[in-house]
Amino acid sequence: MKLGLLELRRRPGQFGVAGGALAFLTLLLIFLGGLLDGLIGGSTGLLRAQSAELIVYSDDARASLVRSRLDPATIAAIGDVEGVSAVGGLGVAQVGARVLDADGQPRTDEVESVAVVGYELSATEVPDPPPVGEAYVDSSLGASVGDVVAIGPEQLEVEVVGAVDDTSYLLQPGVWVSPETYEQVLAAARPDLAMAPGVFQAALVRTADGVDPDVVAARVDDATGSTSTLTIDDAIAALPGVEDQEGTFGIVIGATFVVVGVVAALFFALITIERTGLYGVLKALGSSNLGVVASLVTQAVVVALVAFALGLGAILAASGVLAGAVPFDLSLERAVSTGVGLVIMSVVGSLLSARRVWRVDPASVIG
Amino acid sequence: MRLSLREIRRAKLRFGLLGGAVGLLVFLILFQQVLLGSLLESFTGALERQSADVVVYSEDARRSVAGSILSPEVVEAVGAVPGVAAAAPLGERTTTLSANGELVDGSVFGFVPGGPGEPTALVEGRLPASPGEAAASREDAADGFGLGATVTVEPGGAEVTVVGLTDRSRFSVSPTLWLTWEGYVEVVEAAEPDAPMVFPSLVAVATEAGEEPAAVAVDISAAVEGTDALTRSDAVAETPGVAEVRTSFLLILSLAYVVVGLVLAFFFLILTVQKSAALSLLRAVGIPMRELVTGLYLQVALVVGIGAVIGTGLVLLAAQGVGDALPLSIEPLEVAATLGLVVAVAGVGSLLALRRLLQVDPTDAVARPSLGGLA
Amino acid sequence: MDALTLNDVRKVYRTGDEEAVALDHATLSVASDEIVTLLGPSGSGKTTLLSISGGLLTPTEGTVRVGGDDIGDYGSRQLTEFRRDKVGFVFQSVNLVPFLTARENIAVVAGFGGRRSDADERVDRLLDELGLADRGSNLPDELSGGERQRVAIGRALMNEPSLVLIDEPTSALDTQMGEKVMELIVDEMRARNTAAVIVTHDRRMTRYADRTVEITDGRLEA
Repeated sequence: MKLGLLELRRRPGQFGVAGGALAFLTLLLIFLGGLLDGLIGGSTGLLRAQSAELIVYSDDARASLVRSRLDPATIAAIGDVEGVSAVGGLGVAQVGARVLDADGQPRTDEVESVAVVGYELSATEVPDPPPVGEAYVDSSLGASVGDVVAIGPEQLEVEVVGAVDDTSYLLQPGVWVSPETYEQVLAAARPDLAMAPGVFQAALVRTADGVDPDVVAARVDDATGSTSTLTIDDAIAALPGVEDQEGTFGIVIGATFVVVGVVAALFFALITIERTGLYGVLKALGSSNLGVVASLVTQAVVVALVAFALGLGAILAASGVLAGAVPFDLSLERAVSTGVGLVIMSVVGSLLSARRVWRVDPASVIG
Repeated sequence: MRLSLREIRRAKLRFGLLGGAVGLLVFLILFQQVLLGSLLESFTGALERQSADVVVYSEDARRSVAGSILSPEVVEAVGAVPGVAAAAPLGERTTTLSANGELVDGSVFGFVPGGPGEPTALVEGRLPASPGEAAASREDAADGFGLGATVTVEPGGAEVTVVGLTDRSRFSVSPTLWLTWEGYVEVVEAAEPDAPMVFPSLVAVATEAGEEPAAVAVDISAAVEGTDALTRSDAVAETPGVAEVRTSFLLILSLAYVVVGLVLAFFFLILTVQKSAALSLLRAVGIPMRELVTGLYLQVALVVGIGAVIGTGLVLLAAQGVGDALPLSIEPLEVAATLGLVVAVAGVGSLLALRRLLQVDPTDAVARPSLGGLA
Repeated sequence: MDALTLNDVRKVYRTGDEEAVALDHATLSVASDEIVTLLGPSGSGKTTLLSISGGLLTPTEGTVRVGGDDIGDYGSRQLTEFRRDKVGFVFQSVNLVPFLTARENIAVVAGFGGRRSDADERVDRLLDELGLADRGSNLPDELSGGERQRVAIGRALMNEPSLVLIDEPTSALDTQMGEKVMELIVDEMRARNTAAVIVTHDRRMTRYADRTVEITDGRLEA
């Protein structure tokens, strides 16, 4: 083990190319992971922010807010179902928004896409609905408390009264408003989709303590006869693109981890061949096979860690640029799991050379 | 030549690992290339393969078709802008379709037959001529959108019959139906009985012969308040998400190419260094340098060749697996171009090994001072 | 107690149906402070004898005792420990670890066991005695041939073995240098009262030893 570390210190150049290749692979892995997290996180924030256990769509909506409609009678009926402790309407309008400066002029020419959320039940991340004319705004929009945001084609002005985090819907920052404001924005943006007061796209349901949400969901659908009720987790998975993205990125990230293993295996296979003579000497002098393999594995761990640090450093340095261009979101969890995966694959790759170490005959050193 | 092949046979594990690594990397590159192509085609194909030279959005729509809504007056106003030969409403609605007994998310477009905005990539059957008829994208033909199939637009329950298939004309990565404007209005009215009327989403514009579409687009945006006009190709490129997708994939692909180059470079360099004694011996017994170089490149070519076969095979396999949500279309020409680039990267990567090889001196075989083994 | 006792040792190599006898009924004793040269041409079996004495090979027949222990029944793990603790090797081509300094090369065998607390002190003393006091932090390719040889001797002596086995120490050197190296080895062994077996094909080198045993075609002749 000590021998492996000493070699790394004395001959770092020998490990440079393998380390470089692994660093680039780290970069690739973290980028892919961050992109996936950014895509998924930005799509699902609205639902993840909810404290409700269930979400109710109309049964022909196929778990899509845009296609779903619940009238006031249905929502009232849901509230009467046994096991439901609270119910509230939810609606989203994807419209343009402009953050205004002190003079009431748009700060930039760019119109930002936002998801205007009309809601009745407070979420984990968002307090009870603000009064008309005010909004809680997702921090990713870049507006601060006190700013005025003009939303929709009519440029309806709302004042930011609180910043909320991680509440985006389909990559658009959430602007949380009262149901009245929401209806007004929607009617202006999509007159063809305008909804009567009290009509919502979906309803959020908090279940009573100690009741199985799945049971309540079935009761809700029985009671209304026209709804499809999902747990929030199922609703997140049903959002457009979420499963496909996870599947596709899963393939790419998985294949990249295999590449890490193969590259490590290749490198250590080459290095082991070069050191056959050295291993013979060490074994003749009384080093155990395990001792030699431990040296190899130590090197695999160190090379992977250094490569990981380099790759992570590079991506952190570039993350400012990245965040502007793509929905990239690097979480601690993603970084740690990538690092752990990298070390594991590198160690697995290096262990492929253990057999060769074992086969080196110490007697070959003499004669 | 024969020597280099024999070397591969003797060192199966090493060359196998290298071939495997290159194969996986080629797979990653190809898979993402195909994914990017198919994703973008499937995302904006409908916009790309329709006849309007210029499309007009509502200014507030941020160049999103689904977010755009215009009044019929705007269609008229656009038609009056100089340089515009014809202007027609183009409708788009995201909805639920029932095909083959299954519910799927889909898009419905409404265009004026014979006017701008017509699908241009008809490959089978004909374009719809009356309400109740539709053209579908042929990628979805096998999933209940084939010629003669009846599809129900779920909210409202209007039924349409597929009379034509178009090539790569999907929208938003989901099945897409093209209806006549009247047919579109009927379907939307059935779905939204309370809505005051059915509005166009976009205005499709044909420019007059000799007019530059880009210039006409600028004129329209300036002349008609609340509009944002773009040429067809700009509309495709500016669709929200397209630029991000392109940038992301470009970054991923270039990283993967760098890794291919590095892996090949370090492998062949180490290999050449390890056998430099044998190489000087070969030079000493009269093997010309040309032959050693040929041997090196034969090995590189073999490794890349095997990698290409593995990578292409894996992509074909993965395309089967991903299938449903996003039909992956593998274009032979694109695959060939990608493989060509991999070969180029391999060529560059092996230059390090080549430099080392050219330094091999036959006199080393006899003059090498004995340093005493390892030290 | 003798440092090494070989009793009727045979070593037979089989390749397919062919049998090659590398060592034929070899019997040899080396006293605890004796230096023996084993002289023979290449292919005579001297390397096999050295390997068997050092626990690198196991004999086909016969018994091998080193410092009183019968190593004939040792498994590979016991042999590994035996090589580490009971014998010292000086290899023909020196075989220092190229990325370790002179000091680390000597200490490396102590590291395998991982338990010598006085290792540092001992390395210092060995470096000093071998005239390498100011070369301890040099890498092998910064050392002269003679210095490398001395490091190799230091490594062999590090674990205070009862027997040191030396393989062709002079084969890569000219006569003058070879004699210097032999003198060095013999002096170091005598100074420590350590037994040594030196394998060589060069008759001129035998005069440094207490006794010479010749080996031809696997048979020992005193």
